[in-house]
Amino acid sequence: MNDPGKEISRLAFDERGADYLLAVREEYGNAGPAFVAKGEDVGDIRTDIPYQLVTILRKIYPYMEDGKIAVVIRRCEEKALNELIKRGIIDGDRIIRIGLACSEGQIEACRCTDPVPSCVDIGSPGKGWNEDQLSKELSAMSSEERLDFWVAQFRKCNKCYACSTNCPVCVCDHCVLEECTFVAEKGIPPGMAFHLIRAYHLSDKCTECGECERSCPAHIPLLTFRKMTNRDMKDLYGYESGDTETVSPLLTTLEGDLLEEEED
Amino acid sequence: MKIDHVLTTCPYCGTGCNFYLQVVNERLIGVIPCKTDEISQGRLCIKGYNAHTFVQHPDRLKHPMIKEKGKMRKASWDEALDKIVSEIKRITSEHGNDSVAVFASAKCTTEENYLFQKLARSAIGTNNVDHCARLCHASTVAGLVYSFGSGAMTNSIPEFEDANCILVTGSNTLEAHPLIGSRILKAMENGAQVIVIDPRDTPLSRLAQFTLHQKPGSDIAWINGMIRVIIEEGLFDKEFVDGRTELFEELKQVVQQYTPEEVEKITGIEPKMLVDAARTYAKADRSMIAYAMGITQHSNGTDLVKSLANLAMVTGNVGKESTGVNPLRGQCNVQGACDAGCLPDFYPGYQKVNDTGANKKFRGAWKSNLSTKVGSTITSTMEKMESGEIKGLIIFGENVMVSDPDIAHIEKALNSLDFFALVEIFPSETSKFADVILPAACYAEKDGTFTNTDRKIRMLRKAVGPPGEAMPDWKIACELGKKFGAEGFDFSSPAEIMDEMASLAPIYGGVSHGRADTEVISWPCPTKDHPGTKVLHVDGFKMGRGKFAPVHHSPPNEEPSEEFPMVLSTGRNLFQFHTGTMTRKSPKLEQEAPEPYVEINSGDAKMLGIEDGSRVRVTSRRGSIALVAKVTERIIPGTIFIPFHYAEAAANRLTNPAYDPIAQIPELKVCAARIERS
Ligand code: SF4
Ligand code: SF4
Ligand code: SF4
Repeated sequence: MNDPGKEISRLAFDERGADYLLAVREEYGNAGPAFVAKGEDVGDIRTDIPYQLVTILRKIYPYMEDGKIAVVIRRCEEKALNELIKRGIIDGDRIIRIGLACSEGQIEACRCTDPVPSCVDIGSPGKGWNEDQLSKELSAMSSEERLDFWVAQFRKCNKCYACSTNCPVCVCDHCVLEECTFVAEKGIPPGMAFHLIRAYHLSDKCTECGECERSCPAHIPLLTFRKMTNRDMKDLYGYESGDTETVSPLLTTLEGDLLEEEED
Repeated sequence: MKIDHVLTTCPYCGTGCNFYLQVVNERLIGVIPCKTDEISQGRLCIKGYNAHTFVQHPDRLKHPMIKEKGKMRKASWDEALDKIVSEIKRITSEHGNDSVAVFASAKCTTEENYLFQKLARSAIGTNNVDHCARLCHASTVAGLVYSFGSGAMTNSIPEFEDANCILVTGSNTLEAHPLIGSRILKAMENGAQVIVIDPRDTPLSRLAQFTLHQKPGSDIAWINGMIRVIIEEGLFDKEFVDGRTELFEELKQVVQQYTPEEVEKITGIEPKMLVDAARTYAKADRSMIAYAMGITQHSNGTDLVKSLANLAMVTGNVGKESTGVNPLRGQCNVQGACDAGCLPDFYPGYQKVNDTGANKKFRGAWKSNLSTKVGSTITSTMEKMESGEIKGLIIFGENVMVSDPDIAHIEKALNSLDFFALVEIFPSETSKFADVILPAACYAEKDGTFTNTDRKIRMLRKAVGPPGEAMPDWKIACELGKKFGAEGFDFSSPAEIMDEMASLAPIYGGVSHGRADTEVISWPCPTKDHPGTKVLHVDGFKMGRGKFAPVHHSPPNEEPSEEFPMVLSTGRNLFQFHTGTMTRKSPKLEQEAPEPYVEINSGDAKMLGIEDGSRVRVTSRRGSIALVAKVTERIIPGTIFIPFHYAEAAANRLTNPAYDPIAQIPELKVCAARIERS
């Protein structure tokens, strides 16, 4: 498999019957998203640049009237796709998955605990990371210190909305972050509410893909922020996002069940 | 089903981020950052993310139009172009070639700007060609040419990350150049000291280790004061000063009187703060200076730029990585428009029009009789329009009715014209005055290059077709050139235009679309095998030695008085861009900052009985506008600030057109004003 492009195109079009392929391709000395139809030249496919293809898929999906789309997906993207299917945003039958196992370097960059897709077509499965160093340091702090840390980080925010624009599972049609009722501050930085609302809104969907952190121009360790929130979700509700079935506790607690259980 | 991701360059600020436009069946649906782009590294600001939204807006101009009996009517391309050519020819035959002027555009590509100046010089026969750099960085070009021999950013954007100290003045970097701001934040994470000197609090100053607030218009005083501290305390770089500069003794003399106490009197900066900042800047291994319009838009802007160059040279912070004097250019292609010669005194590549050698070279190349008389700047063109000396004007994509100082004066100037043709993408405040309007293609609809603020050639690639009959400006310029009967307007692509420019402008000698397509090149790049130049002045200055400028502080042209007790400053906010022609048609950007406002210090507000959100009226000697007050601690007492994006309360109804005698840049940053409840 010297040329992953050949293999990916064979899997997508010849073996799995796709009409289109969404992957990352090199062009003009840069790597970027490419959408190719069956029969077209797939070009110079790259698997080492972590574009969030599920976000890109979600943006073009409403315009796709027919056809099956093959997507090269890493584990986190696979989980994001499952969340979208579960919520009826994407029809799972129209998506063909080509599983990409992340490299050691990528796993380290994401401090990723769960790096292997359910079906590995490209790459070789790497070992997951145990712990995020920064989460560990923050957990050891007092809650005041921890708050100070995040307040200082969020003061750098430039309100580019990259963390929501590029997130595969940030899916509301109408985003409350854009409303002054919820985020009162005009100008930058936005107040803490901006980041806390986002934290809550994604607590049952985030797949720790790290795209928010990678695209944050303020270099805020958003992935650590996510990992810590997700850990709370797991500890409190035993919930983890990423499959097509498990119903979000945010939906069930509204009916009261889980909260009552907690009091027992 | 056709879905494309087209790599192109952001049409807003001079950072020059690249991104992918997502196109579904000729429709733009989104922007995806490019992760491998050296400049943006897969990040963008909110303007970049929304750069697709205005492109296919229904208000876009779609047909050429001609004014008849005060009304606009549709016209064919031929009719409209013929009209322009015959009117301009009539004017020049009656009043001479210099009775016509052309304004080029920092929003058009370098190739297009090359053609605009060629059109003015070779087809019409005048050097009256200029563009909005006059309003933002003309003083940079004049100042840095004096000090270093070249008027551009000395270092490159990625180098900010490795600086030990960054001095930012007159630049609201996190809002105006967000992705350069991002590099500065990274540098801070790496341990750099950041010094922000600005009359207002800015998002960056709130994060910086040092924040100094000076009175608007007092900058030379604090710069001289810092230089004095550095010399007194022996912190200057003797080797650099002796080996690479001249006029040091004169500089030493001049700064002598700027003791920290004296500086405090002029600027309001506490002596201890000044001394600390000076030491920090001088002691760091690699110190960078970044500045923008807060420095350049003054009636002594050229001197101000020279003083910053003094500061860098005294400490040997020039010609090395992560140092230098770095003007942050506001528009996507203001650098390229300057490089292409859209300046009244320069041919492409900064070759003087009154230099016999250069004149001969361009006469030969363009097969045309070229004038050696330096042309007229935007600022003086406006005056000459009013006095009747200039009677014909062609503008490519500038909204002068919002962007230029003293709008009432501009209105009068435009009304005095015999003939005015405008090439634009949207109807604007300026288009009301035009006799002929031509619809242009915007950045997403054409190929070409922008040169960003750090001299990198960035490719534009066509993602969608233009609306209606609109055409790219380069085609329009070619058509006009041919109809004027000039030679050398037969281009079939922007790549060919760049080839011609490269053959005539040595700093672009090795630049071609073939190379820029896959390589990131910074000029100077004299030959095809030259890799380009990231850091300027490494092996020496163009003219031998760097030249210190012994300059004194002088007060702004207009100082507060009893009638106009406040100092008014203008600038931008994060969400809007310039005159708003593009951003105000992007719903997400407009929603973030929909309304014109004036910032006022809470103490001043209390005294005047103004509350946050009050309707107020701001008046200067030139005009008066109504808007909403934003009461804040973030501005020093005695000063008010208005962003200039809003036509409905245009800050430039108030600003002072008094200009720098050398660069002719107007004093947009300071004028005297009065604010009251309305
Ligand atoms: S890591 Fe960030 S971008 Fe990825 S799913 Fe979670 S919130 Fe969204
Ligand atoms: S990506 Fe970073 S800077 Fe942009 S809105 Fe999110 S937190 Fe703020
Ligand atoms: S920083 Fe400038 S170039 Fe980059 S996305 Fe924002 S406006 Fe565009």
